[in-house]
Amino acid sequence: MATADPAPPERAGSLFDTELYHRIRTVAMGVLVVVAVAVLLMWPSITDYYSYNASYYNGIVASAAISAILTISLNLSMGYGGMLSMMHSGLQLAGGYATAYVVVKASGSWLLGVAASAAVGVLLAVLVLLVSLRATYLYFGMITLAANLIVIESGREWESVTGGIVGLSGVAPKLGDEPMSKQAFYYVVLAFLALAYVVQRNIVRSGVGRAAMAVRESSDTASAMGISPARAKLLLFGVCGGIAGVSGALYALQLGFINPDVGLLDNGIIFFVGLFLGGISTLIGPVIGVALIAVLVELIKDQARYTTLVLGVLLLVAMMVIPRGIVGTWRASRAGRDRVSDAGDDTLPDEVPDVVPEVRDAAPEVPAIEGVGLVKHFGGVHAVDGVDIRIMPGTVHGIIGPNGSGKSTLVSCLTRYHRLDSGKVMIFGEEAPAAPHRVAAAGVTRVFQVPHLFERVSVLDNVLTGMRMRESYTWLGATLRSSAYRRQDRAERAEARELLAFAGLASRADWPASSLSHGQKRLLEVVRAVATRPKVLILDEPATGLTSTELDALGRLCRVLRERGLAVVLIEHDVDFVMGLCDEITVVESGKVIERGDPERVQSSPAVLEAYLGRPELIEETA
Amino acid sequence: MSPEVIIDGLFAGSVYALVALALAIVFQPTRIMNFAQGEALILGAAVSYQIVALEKMSWALALVVTIVVAALMGVLMERMIMLPVRMSGSRYAWIIATLAAALIFQSLFNLGFFDVDALRPDPVVAGGFEIAGVSVEWQELLAIIVALAVMAGYDLFLRRSVYGRAIRATAHSSDTSVLMGIPVQRIVVLSFVIAAVITAVAGLLAAPVIFIAPAVGLTFTIKGFTAAVIGGVGSPRGALAGGMIVGLLDTVVRSVVGGTVGNFAVFAALAVILIVFPSGLFGKPMEAH
Repeated sequence: MATADPAPPERAGSLFDTELYHRIRTVAMGVLVVVAVAVLLMWPSITDYYSYNASYYNGIVASAAISAILTISLNLSMGYGGMLSMMHSGLQLAGGYATAYVVVKASGSWLLGVAASAAVGVLLAVLVLLVSLRATYLYFGMITLAANLIVIESGREWESVTGGIVGLSGVAPKLGDEPMSKQAFYYVVLAFLALAYVVQRNIVRSGVGRAAMAVRESSDTASAMGISPARAKLLLFGVCGGIAGVSGALYALQLGFINPDVGLLDNGIIFFVGLFLGGISTLIGPVIGVALIAVLVELIKDQARYTTLVLGVLLLVAMMVIPRGIVGTWRASRAGRDRVSDAGDDTLPDEVPDVVPEVRDAAPEVPAIEGVGLVKHFGGVHAVDGVDIRIMPGTVHGIIGPNGSGKSTLVSCLTRYHRLDSGKVMIFGEEAPAAPHRVAAAGVTRVFQVPHLFERVSVLDNVLTGMRMRESYTWLGATLRSSAYRRQDRAERAEARELLAFAGLASRADWPASSLSHGQKRLLEVVRAVATRPKVLILDEPATGLTSTELDALGRLCRVLRERGLAVVLIEHDVDFVMGLCDEITVVESGKVIERGDPERVQSSPAVLEAYLGRPELIEETA
Repeated sequence: MSPEVIIDGLFAGSVYALVALALAIVFQPTRIMNFAQGEALILGAAVSYQIVALEKMSWALALVVTIVVAALMGVLMERMIMLPVRMSGSRYAWIIATLAAALIFQSLFNLGFFDVDALRPDPVVAGGFEIAGVSVEWQELLAIIVALAVMAGYDLFLRRSVYGRAIRATAHSSDTSVLMGIPVQRIVVLSFVIAAVITAVAGLLAAPVIFIAPAVGLTFTIKGFTAAVIGGVGSPRGALAGGMIVGLLDTVVRSVVGGTVGNFAVFAALAVILIVFPSGLFGKPMEAH
């Protein structure tokens, strides 16, 4: 393409970009993982051989693993879901109580206790999230902090269940009738850590995780993809609660007791430090971070009262020196980053791939989307003041008008981002649902005026996010990688690559979205919107800042979509672009429609000329 | 429930109001809700405990030392919080940094006063008086008066002085303020210092009456935050109203139902308010967050 590409990752010449280096690195990483896993598995034998105090050292690793489980949960909620939870130590406490109650007071099996803990964790997390759905993220942090204190206070007061300030002790796992040995329980803890890691990885890589990350970046954009922000958050936070509950159960079983102090933020800080040190929003970061802290705490155990102080300082220093954490910094470094494909000279294919959506069964004469008497006032500003608009399927419909004439507000009304003061919106003859994500589900997808890409993920993942609506697998299916999940995932990836190829972005599919040029970003947004398989596609000023080649690509895409029976709505300033492409144009001025019709009619309309140029008598001279 | 409970509530309320005001002072130019704010309150209590109860010296000295040490703490806090926030660029940086600062100070207080349950010096003015059958302690009255005076003073400062206008401009947009030649960095430091001093003075006044353990700073931060949310973050009057509501609620529930239910009620009230009014009772929405 003719645009200046932002520097694609370094050209050859550097040692770190050679294939050999990457091959060696992959092998080295693999060896490292195998060694780490082997050491963890053989740890009890190692300590048994080298130390008289084996159970102490086994306990340290088990406790660290339990902390790592909780930190994984925290990473899921903060790193991937963008939900700043200050109640994770409280969730752990609640989980601990559940197991302790089942084992000590109800004398049930410890496995039942773990299940109860998971349930309690989920319940608590869901409850808090439901309470704070409307809260912005600062308030969410505060509410979770308050919830944390409430859990601790309840633990202190509700003596019959929690044992009050003293807590419950004598929580021990049993194997049959015999108490389980600490060594056996060590492997139980490891198994749960592996499980938590796998749950995290599978969720993050599936549509469930992509939906949550979309909501993290912008809940408006997520809604435009048909993702319900509330549902995505609830699901992810519920899973986080469950994992945190399990870690509480393991905590109680490992140490044999649980008391309210476990929930205090002083204890919770270790998870924050671990997360930030290891690398937030990375899969293995939490585990590495917690492991380092465990080593550190062990080293300063003779000065244990300084632990909080040291951890606090460490946290501040880590934020300054390695803001992305160990894993994040490694990934961004020359030695650690992944190789991305070179930017090929993507030629646009002539064939239209089948994956481009098609609308066939539309009833004739029924508008794809219709606004009747739309009114939206902001205080005294009549942004949209009684607009009627009909957009037919299989057409490209332009909405033009001077700056501030209410075009974008009109779109937000049609897609229900704004609550209407009066009027109604019909989609294929049926009343439009009230929530933006339901409008998207009904087949109306919008692309925003300001680019709203998910910059931190790859180009391909951006397109995949657009497909969330039609994924039928559940989070459990994604976690277990069910056959339905794998089939859908494979199909989606193939389809996304085809769509990208059609837009000329094929060779950039694995690049981070942030590395694209402005024009490519706009194009990618359109591709992502097309991936939702819309019946109506609304583009808000897509052509702004595009080069002529990119304009051509965009125009071609719009024409293809029209041929496929979609209704395309273009809000544009570029008059040449609009006139050359649109079948019908609506001109808006001061919130009212001043002209509508085909391009010729609009171009010759005195009302339009006046709106744009103010003084029609001057037109002759300039023309 | 005796009428004294109301007085106690107003007294506690004025303490929370001062914390709420301090939170708002830091929030305006920085958009940071400082979780370490309550630690300054502990500092005030600790200094007065050290000087008045242990060293048996005068309250005047305690006040002077508190103000000086609190100002230093403000400067230190600004560095501890703003440096990581600027250098990390993460969206959560501020919350993690303030939390870390809170825990660092908390552990310092714990280390310094590990054998102390409550930092409780003798009152500034001992005894009390009776009015219409209600007994009021001088200390409580003093705290309420000081709170009112600080609120009024800051309100005046914000509206009338050049610095106040600069602070309000910075609150709207720190980028634009820099372009207008307002020394934003100095204002940020100043905000941290003023906030720390106000909170420390609140701690100094509260210590003889309220139970203040070395480790409870975070609880005061949250109650102050609740007050700020109820009153709307930013206005001294809102902070006062919010503080009084929280104080009365806390104390009244505590005396009627007893025990730690007071905390419960306050947090529950916070949750309810945030559900019904996502941007506070009197507040404007806090966009950036």
